[in-house]
Amino acid sequence: MSKPRGYKQRNLLMMTMLAPYIFLLIVFGILPLFMAVLEVPKISIANPDGGWDAFKIVLQDFRFPTALKNVLGFMAYFVPMMIIIVIAMALMLDVKTNKWSKYLRLAYIVPASISGAVAVLVWWAIFEPTISPIKSVLHFFGINSARQIWQTENLVYLIAIMTFFSMAGNWILIQYGSLQSISTEIIEAARVDGCSAFQLAFRIKLPLIRKYIIYMAVLVFAGGLQIFVEPQLLNTGVYTGIASSWSFDQLSYELAFKSGDFGGASALSIILLVPSLIGALVVIFKTDMFDDKTIRDKKSSDKADL
Amino acid sequence: MSTTIKSSKKLKSATRQESRVGMFFVNSWLIFFAVISIIPMAWLLLASSKTDPELSSRNPLAFGSFKGYINAWNNLTFFDNGVIGRWVINSVLYNAAIVVIATITASLAGFVISASRIRFKKTFLISTLIMMLLPPVALVIPLFVLMDKVSLIDNPLSVILISSLYPFGAFLSYIYYSTTIPPELYESARLDGCSDWQLYTRIAFPLSGALLGLLAFFAFIGNWANYFMPYVMLYSGENYTLPLGLGFLFSSTPAINPGVGATSVPIYKPEIALAGALIAFPIMVMFLISQKRLIRGMLAGSIKE
Repeated sequence: MSKPRGYKQRNLLMMTMLAPYIFLLIVFGILPLFMAVLEVPKISIANPDGGWDAFKIVLQDFRFPTALKNVLGFMAYFVPMMIIIVIAMALMLDVKTNKWSKYLRLAYIVPASISGAVAVLVWWAIFEPTISPIKSVLHFFGINSARQIWQTENLVYLIAIMTFFSMAGNWILIQYGSLQSISTEIIEAARVDGCSAFQLAFRIKLPLIRKYIIYMAVLVFAGGLQIFVEPQLLNTGVYTGIASSWSFDQLSYELAFKSGDFGGASALSIILLVPSLIGALVVIFKTDMFDDKTIRDKKSSDKADL
Repeated sequence: MSTTIKSSKKLKSATRQESRVGMFFVNSWLIFFAVISIIPMAWLLLASSKTDPELSSRNPLAFGSFKGYINAWNNLTFFDNGVIGRWVINSVLYNAAIVVIATITASLAGFVISASRIRFKKTFLISTLIMMLLPPVALVIPLFVLMDKVSLIDNPLSVILISSLYPFGAFLSYIYYSTTIPPELYESARLDGCSDWQLYTRIAFPLSGALLGLLAFFAFIGNWANYFMPYVMLYSGENYTLPLGLGFLFSSTPAINPGVGATSVPIYKPEIALAGALIAFPIMVMFLISQKRLIRGMLAGSIKE
């Protein structure tokens, strides 16, 4: 195609319109990555000789193994819980769509508004037998004092439950949406062939929404790795000392702001970034989630439908 | 077609009994999950209508009185000379700025990537996707180092600027524009002498209503309850947002922290609950009225409806 006249000026205008976003992307997205890398080898008290030993020093920090154990333990509950319960809920909602399911979906989204600091407050109340909205359940299990629940060794489950509730609602709705995208002809055909609801779910629906499950798994995993607010606030604001440098991000916060070791904190940030980056690249290049072709294909099917 | 349906009827009735029992369990579970989803929020919204003793003596989900909310608010204003008011204003102002800047920059970026043939288009798109899939807190420490270099620590601008980078929004806009506006439309408008800016103002912008709503919605829900990044960037109480303020209340009043000794300010559980409700309630309202937006936005680009 021949370039229209004034092509250069046009591109200049286009670049001007793109500039504010690109500025933000470069300054707050890409630059910090380089700054983190440059920060690592600086000489500090923790790393007196400077250099890339900072990575080794962080990995050998006495708090690192505990944080690793905590975060992996938490993720071992949180990630499967998210994927299994969310997908199961979405499949169940998809079985029968009646007038009630609309209200059910509204209910599921409610806990999504309780996250971070508010989640700490609400879960503190739920597990406080004197004021808990589930008092009778707590009493049934013989819990008369919140301290029976809030123990450092229970935090892997407790924080998994807290984060599960603040994230599940969103994903139930999203996966329900992805199930709705399966064409009715496929479902009908499978039914006519005598597929039971179970077979339909496991043999037809799940394989068809595979990429959305991978997408969710990557985001849930990357988010879990960076858990911070819940343990941090529990530790500083509710039960002092219960979760001191409990997670990686807390450790990195402490390195930076308590010991002034920004090199070590940056090294830890980079280490944590690697698995998330790999996950992101898998979603981008190994699924067709964000493929140009998928996007173009849908043009015909859902014009101004967004 | 009709014959196959008939022949499958037998099979269907055989599985009907089993499926009715199954449906009973499915429905019970769905309803149970809905109930446990609502209870925490119900408790939070009702807690500050009661007095502190009533919180433990009355039914946890009972309603106290409207006066309870007013009392709780008045008590909150005793804390640090009414700094709670500042937190509310800060939260509203910061978020308004973020929503506006993020929405505008992201929608323009999406438009340019979809409508132009500029160089590095692919690079911009891929870096946007990568940024979008990384957790926003992953870069908190290097961002602090950066903000420290430009002396923006404890300046609300740091929080506003960092949060205004909206790769998800840019990607969403790219999808939106490339699926709603056929490229031929731009070509013919160009031939008619439209400048690129006019392509945006005359063609793309008038068709952007739904998109801008979607962008503002996600920008708001993504930032309103944000904690970690503002926590690192801001340290004076008067610059705090509501979530930071709530965390500060936890650690400086004995309401839920037995480690803090008695203070002279009347901050107890109902007051703390009110501060929490001020954060959670606006997001809940947004979620309830924009449920469809949530699904469409998150699945944009790959879903055929």
